[in-house]
Amino acid sequence: MTNTYIESFPAEAKVVRAAFYSSFLALAIGGLFGIVQTLHRTGYYRFMDSADYYTVLTAHGVLLAITFTIFFLVGVFTWAVTTSLDRPVEDIRFTWVWYGLMVVGTVLTAIPIFAGFTDSEMSASVLFTFYAPLQGHPLFYFGLVLFVVGTWLAGADWFRSWWAWKQEHPDERIPLPTFMVLTTTLMWYIATLGVAAAILLFLLPWSLGLVESVNPLLTRTLFWFFGHPVVYFWLMPAYMMWYIMLPKISGGKLFSDPLARVVFVLFLILSVPTGIHHQYLDPGIAEGFKFIAMTNTMFLLLPSLLTAFTVVASMEHGARQRGGTGYLGWLKALPWRDPVFAGMALAGLMFAAAGFSGMINAGMNINYLVHNTFWVVGHFHLTVGTAVALTFMAVTYWFLPQVTGKELWSRSVALGQVVLWFVGMTFMSNAMHRGGLLGIPRRTAEPQYEGFEFEAAVGSVGELDAQIALGGALLTLSLVLFFANVIGTALNSRSDDLPANEYADTLSGPSDAPLVLDNLKLWTAIAIVLVIFAYSFPLLSIIERGGLFGPELTELPVSIGPGLEYLSTTTVSTVTTAGETAIAIIAGVGS
Amino acid sequence: MRISKGALLVVIAFTAPLIVELRTVLAWVNVELTVLESAVLGIGLIGVLLVWALWPQSQNNATESAETE
Repeated sequence: MTNTYIESFPAEAKVVRAAFYSSFLALAIGGLFGIVQTLHRTGYYRFMDSADYYTVLTAHGVLLAITFTIFFLVGVFTWAVTTSLDRPVEDIRFTWVWYGLMVVGTVLTAIPIFAGFTDSEMSASVLFTFYAPLQGHPLFYFGLVLFVVGTWLAGADWFRSWWAWKQEHPDERIPLPTFMVLTTTLMWYIATLGVAAAILLFLLPWSLGLVESVNPLLTRTLFWFFGHPVVYFWLMPAYMMWYIMLPKISGGKLFSDPLARVVFVLFLILSVPTGIHHQYLDPGIAEGFKFIAMTNTMFLLLPSLLTAFTVVASMEHGARQRGGTGYLGWLKALPWRDPVFAGMALAGLMFAAAGFSGMINAGMNINYLVHNTFWVVGHFHLTVGTAVALTFMAVTYWFLPQVTGKELWSRSVALGQVVLWFVGMTFMSNAMHRGGLLGIPRRTAEPQYEGFEFEAAVGSVGELDAQIALGGALLTLSLVLFFANVIGTALNSRSDDLPANEYADTLSGPSDAPLVLDNLKLWTAIAIVLVIFAYSFPLLSIIERGGLFGPELTELPVSIGPGLEYLSTTTVSTVTTAGETAIAIIAGVGS
Repeated sequence: MRISKGALLVVIAFTAPLIVELRTVLAWVNVELTVLESAVLGIGLIGVLLVWALWPQSQNNATESAETE
């Protein structure tokens, strides 16, 4: 018998498996909406009303960026804590409670989103970025609250395990995977304060009719307080996999445990005080505050570059252990036939490209060129859509046998799937970036306009649309292969010939890392101070100018029909007023 | 084979971004390719890769390669 996870921790394996399956369900539905949008936007196949595009977009964003990623994260983190501390969770009932809360939260959030497809009054087509003035049904916000509370309890569960372990091992360093989980969880606690405040103080009371209006800039700022660090919440499990699984699968060891700890500490400190870089074009926030956010964001390149160095060095070590030689010849010795390795390596490669486009987003001046264009969509399809999603899919091929005790259905199909994702995303994301440079807007059902055409420097917009549709089709095919493998594996019979539940050893271990790195209180305190520096003055200034609940504001309708009516009424009244004013002026001049 | 089948598959996949953006790069030096020409170039590049990868190695290299498998 092999020492798989399910053999060591049968009760926890059930929770991890449930979290993974929940994640995959969200991926399936969200992915389906992905191809629907792709074909609609590009004009290749439009079977729904364009007003429904925004409901599809909301479902795609929420299900993939929140549900798919975070359910997978809680599965991986539970595995990491139990495996690295070598102890079960303290109370499995509590673990099921937070998982259940996340499921209930997801269902409650999904109900009003999907109701948007019906004639019901209920709707929440407010997109993943659900700030005002778009208003959703209260159930949407309530579901989100339950989901986030579920993740908070999950974090408490992991801290509880660590605390219990620490009592029994007072002089030992925190094992690296647990250290990664704890620092990421602390970052999440700080980050979600913003979204909790936005929902509980403003959006939910507003949606319930308890308050008449909100300050849109305030809810936007609180959303981005959470909206940028959530990116790192998705990314950290992928980073964890690159640090503790990739070196092992490469045949070697992690190059440096201390460097890995430094990286996670830097993410804890720097992830939150950066959100204002999403608001460079927002009037009402002074340029100086935006400059501070840009500086903090640029510092985030440091942990990413440290990761690139450490992970590639670890891969090279593994390749040389396998007989690889030469400056670049060692690359040939890597296990490219292993879908877990190939998927993670390709995801890492794509993440490098995402880093470059991210630097452009982060730069205040050059951001003006691409802000709210299709470029941004191309960027996050490289980050969350590839670095995160492809890594998650690749490690699934290692995790599934661990949590089911069954052999993977097909390694060849798995390899084809990860490669197909890479190729599909290359076509789609490249064309999105280039479209953004031409000024093609994001969040638009029909970016084709009468009497105006976007001009491409090379090729044509039609060719870019074709690339996007081709990429979307390849990604959909890749998803089909992924689910075939997941279902095939679930239906397989139990196997005794599975790899053991292990993660990478280190070349430079925890004893080489300064003790201060494990001082979680210190890093949390620094993170909070930085957040206060970055956010207190902008928030005070926004509240001072616009009020806590804003100037008089009527919520914008979330469907196209009433929206157009609202727009035409406003336009007619503005034009009438302007006309009357002009006539009065002319009359005045004439007399 | 000079590289494993898995590595060959990944290398072929990696030609996708190169081919897609080669058109843009060539446009900088006033070489304008159509989509069809780009596709033909891509197929040609993949063909060259296949020939290189499948071409039998010399005996010494083959032994070395076998040891690293």
